[in-house]
Amino acid sequence: MSKEAILSKLSDAVVNGKPELSEQGAKEALAEKMDPLEAINNGLVRGMSIVGDKYAARQVYLPQVLMSAKTMYAGLDILLPAIPKASMSSMKRCATAVVEGDVHDIGKNIVKTMLTAGGFAVTDLGKDVPIQTIIEKAKSEQLNALALSTLMTPTMDGMKSAVDGLVESGYRKSVKVCIGGAPTSPSFAKEIGADHRDANAQDCAAWLKEVL
Amino acid sequence: MADMTHIERAMAGLENKPADRLMTYPIACGVNRKLIGNGITYREWAHNPKMYAQAFIEGQKKFDFDFAIGLMDLSVMAGDLGAHVRMDEQNTPFVDEPIINSIEDYEKLEVPDVKKGRSAVLIEGTKLYCDVLKSQVITAGFVEGPLLALTQSAGAERVFMDMFTNPSAVHRALAVMTDYDVEMTKGFGQTGCAGLCWDYLWGNYSCLGDAEYDEFEGCSKYALKLNALTLKEGMAVAIHNCADLPHLDTQIKKFNPSIYSMAYYPLIPGSLTASEVIAGGYADKTLVAGQIDPQLFIRGTTEKITQVTKDLCQEVKTALCKRGLNNSPKYIIASGCEVPPDIHTKMENIAAVVDTTKKYGKFDT
Repeated sequence: MSKEAILSKLSDAVVNGKPELSEQGAKEALAEKMDPLEAINNGLVRGMSIVGDKYAARQVYLPQVLMSAKTMYAGLDILLPAIPKASMSSMKRCATAVVEGDVHDIGKNIVKTMLTAGGFAVTDLGKDVPIQTIIEKAKSEQLNALALSTLMTPTMDGMKSAVDGLVESGYRKSVKVCIGGAPTSPSFAKEIGADHRDANAQDCAAWLKEVL
Repeated sequence: MADMTHIERAMAGLENKPADRLMTYPIACGVNRKLIGNGITYREWAHNPKMYAQAFIEGQKKFDFDFAIGLMDLSVMAGDLGAHVRMDEQNTPFVDEPIINSIEDYEKLEVPDVKKGRSAVLIEGTKLYCDVLKSQVITAGFVEGPLLALTQSAGAERVFMDMFTNPSAVHRALAVMTDYDVEMTKGFGQTGCAGLCWDYLWGNYSCLGDAEYDEFEGCSKYALKLNALTLKEGMAVAIHNCADLPHLDTQIKKFNPSIYSMAYYPLIPGSLTASEVIAGGYADKTLVAGQIDPQLFIRGTTEKITQVTKDLCQEVKTALCKRGLNNSPKYIIASGCEVPPDIHTKMENIAAVVDTTKKYGKFDT
């Protein structure tokens, strides 16, 4: 199979939400000794960008986006371990988390997907994440960016605690903090000392690419 | 025009007739537990029908709302189906352990006895506050729609992906949820409430397109069936959808509810302001309620929320006039979603919304 055919297969698999084709394409890419980064960027990520654009244009909706994300990760699971460590070290490091007290994580998962598709090395801390864990991970993993989310009002204060904790830990200046979720706003981001409030996952990835 | 009673005003709105002023109902539900004695915990409030009802009665006494609509929270049905609900006292409860973790689990759902659990608290509590308040205001119960109850029981992400890969399993589970909702509707039908408010959250364009929403909730098997049953049981249909970009054509023009409650997201392109909703004809036949940011009840000053309410009253009155709905209270000044049931919520801000609407919502000002 030609390189172009493999890349198209990966991209099409993501667009159509077919994890098994993504796995197959990823294995074929490695078998053909393709650069795994090229397979990711010009195959999987290209497909995810198409899906992102279609979602923004409301041509596809959340079920399709989630399936495409699952498909992208199916391919990434095979391709990422094949990337030489030296290539990985140049990637910007981000973490995503839904703050403690909240388990609504669809938005966070879409952000994780778009950041991954945007070329970031993403650590997903999950949902209902203790604030202390967020602070410690930022420092221990030398994160360049932290994307925090909540869909609930009472848990918004956890975002402030996270930012305050980063200041206390001395790591705040090393990490960009962006927040998202329905109850948050740019003014709330400013109030708590976060760097940015994103309206959607694409904006979050675009903003971080710009500032990092 | 002379001052009208709450019920006269609501009836005027429903019948497209003139009224003295706009109506108001900040969706203050769980937060009213703070008005019982020295305040009770959320757990006490959500597990005891008398306390549940008392909060609405005390809220009416203190704030003099135009409606009483009994929202508890969105984990009632999932909890009674067996999902674990985490109830941090000062947070809205949520499901932290879903009951559906595999495709096979969709098959295992069974309608629980609505005379037990929090379903029973909701129904019995609704009856208790309706007994006291129905002579004063239009009352309504509140229930989760089938798709919402399913996503609460399984996790939204799982359900959305299974819609794509295993739609028949999702439909089988939705059929059970609809049966559960049928039992709930019949229960609410015995409470004396004038309406039943359905939470059809997933009818929004951030999550589902028209085709998906129609297939998984909006069709005759699910929402249309439940709406018809609501009417048959003697209650008006109301709908609450606090998501961004709601399916207004489906949920207002097709479902034809008496009241539709919605939110406004200024940062989301395409989110409609109150005046845009009215200009779009959505308030022509339905009382539309919205769209004060619920955050203002915690984080806003009383001056700020007063100004926001005043501006919204003016915006709404102007838009109604432009639409030819002069002096008819077709738009209800409300919060876009529930007033957060948080201990830090400022009760004075709830009062400010009501008092400001009474003053600046008058049609002769």
